[in-house]
Amino acid sequence: MANTPRRVMLGALALLPALALAPLARADVSTSAASAFITQAGNQLLGVINGPDSTAQKAAALRGIVENIVAVDQVGQFVLGRYTNVATPAQKTEYMQLFHDLLAYNITAQIRADKGITFKVNNAQAQPGGTVIVDTTVNRPSAAPTDVGWVVQDVSGSPKIVDVVVEGTSLRVTERSDYASVIVSNGGQVSALLAAMQKQVAHVKSLSQ
Amino acid sequence: MVLKKTVPFLMLGALLAGCATPPPQSDTAAYQAYQEQNDPLQPTNRVFYKVNDVLDNNVLKPVAIGYKDITTTGFRQHVDDFATNLGEPARLVNFMMEGKSRLAGTALVRFLMNSTVGIGGIFDPATSVGYPETNTDFGLTLADWGVGEGPYLYLPLLGPSDVRDATNIPIEFLLTPTAAPPASTGLSVFSYSETGLSLVNTRTDLLGPIDQIKETALDPYATFRSLYRQNRASQLKQIEKRNVLTTPDWYPQPAQK
Repeated sequence: MANTPRRVMLGALALLPALALAPLARADVSTSAASAFITQAGNQLLGVINGPDSTAQKAAALRGIVENIVAVDQVGQFVLGRYTNVATPAQKTEYMQLFHDLLAYNITAQIRADKGITFKVNNAQAQPGGTVIVDTTVNRPSAAPTDVGWVVQDVSGSPKIVDVVVEGTSLRVTERSDYASVIVSNGGQVSALLAAMQKQVAHVKSLSQ
Repeated sequence: MVLKKTVPFLMLGALLAGCATPPPQSDTAAYQAYQEQNDPLQPTNRVFYKVNDVLDNNVLKPVAIGYKDITTTGFRQHVDDFATNLGEPARLVNFMMEGKSRLAGTALVRFLMNSTVGIGGIFDPATSVGYPETNTDFGLTLADWGVGEGPYLYLPLLGPSDVRDATNIPIEFLLTPTAAPPASTGLSVFSYSETGLSLVNTRTDLLGPIDQIKETALDPYATFRSLYRQNRASQLKQIEKRNVLTTPDWYPQPAQK
C-alpha cells in the first residue's frame, strides 16, 4: 500500500512526454499554405465585388464566402471571452447566431461599398501559437494603400482566417473590448449584450436593403 | 481672484463626481473586466466623448467632406508629408532621450533631406532612399523609460489619451520648429493654419474608418479606447523593431566565424 503514491507519481511521470507532445499533434499551417489560402480567398472575394451581379446577389455570395473562409465560431468564442463562463447555454447559442449575422453583414457592407479594389500578398510569418500572419497591401480607389495582416489558423484540417490586423490593431481584440464594455455598463448582464446585438442586426439589415 | 481659486475646486469636484464605481470583487468576471478597462474616469470621459462627437459631426466632418471634394489623394499626401516633416525635430529629441541612436539619426537625415530636396517637406524623398518615418513622442519616451500608461483619458477636442500620453501636449508645442524663432503675428498665423490644415487633412483620411466604427460598434467609445491603446502598443513595438544597431564600416569589425 505504501507503494501507491509512488505508483501514481510514476504513472504521472510516464504521461508527461505525452502531454508535452500533445500541442505538436495539432497541425500548424505552413506559411506557404497560408499565403496560398489568402491569395485564393482574396481573389474569390474580389471576383464577386468587381463582378457584374446586382448588389443583393453580391451580398448573398459574399456572405457565403465569408462563412467559408473565416473561422466565425472561434472568433465569436474569443470575442465573448471570459463571459463564456457566465452565459447560460441558451444565451451562448443565441450569441453565436447573432455573431454570425453581424460579422457577415459588417464585412459585406464594408466590402460592397468599394469597387475596383486590388490586393497584393507581401509575405507570411509564423506566429507563436501555431498561427501565420499573412501581410497584404490593399489598394482602393481614392484612398491611400493600406497594409492589412490576415491571421490564419488551422481549424479542423483547413486554413481559416481568425483575425485581421490593421496598423497594429487587431479586429477581434477590439471587438472583445467593445462587447465587454456593453456587459460591464449593464451590471455584468450577458442579456444586455444580446439585446444590443439584436438591435445592431436590425440596424445593419435596414441599411443593406 | 475668487474665480481663480474656485475653478480648480470645481474641476476637482467634477472629476470626483465623474468617477466610476467599481463592481464588488466577489463578482470575478465583472471586476476583472473593470480592471482591464482601466478607465476610472469613464463617466467624465464619456461626456467629453459626446461633446467631441457633436463638434465632429457638425464642424470637422462636414469640412473634411468638402475638403475631400476639392483635393486629390496626391495633394493630401503632400500636406501629410509637410506636417510630418515639421514633427521631425521633436522626434529627433525624443529618440535621443530614448537612447535610440539609429532612429535619432534617421529623424535628422529625414528633416535635413526633406526640408531641402523635398522643398520644405512637401515631398518625402527620404523614404524612397531608405529612411522611412518612425513615429515617436514624449508619451512613448516615457513608456520606453518604463512609465505605465495610467488611466485612460478622453480629452476635450484632442480625443483619446491617457495620463502618460497627455504630457505630450506641452512638450510637442515646445519642440515644433515654429516655437524656435521669436514670436510674430506671421508665425502664429502660419502655425495655426498649418495645425488646422493638418487636422482637416487627417480627418479626411479617416472619413471611411471612423464612419465604419460608429456604424458597426456596439459601443463606439469603448472601441476607440481599445484602438488607441493597441495603436500605442504597436508604435512602441515598431520603435524597438526598427532601432537596429549596426557596426559602422570604419570601426574594427568583429572576427568572422
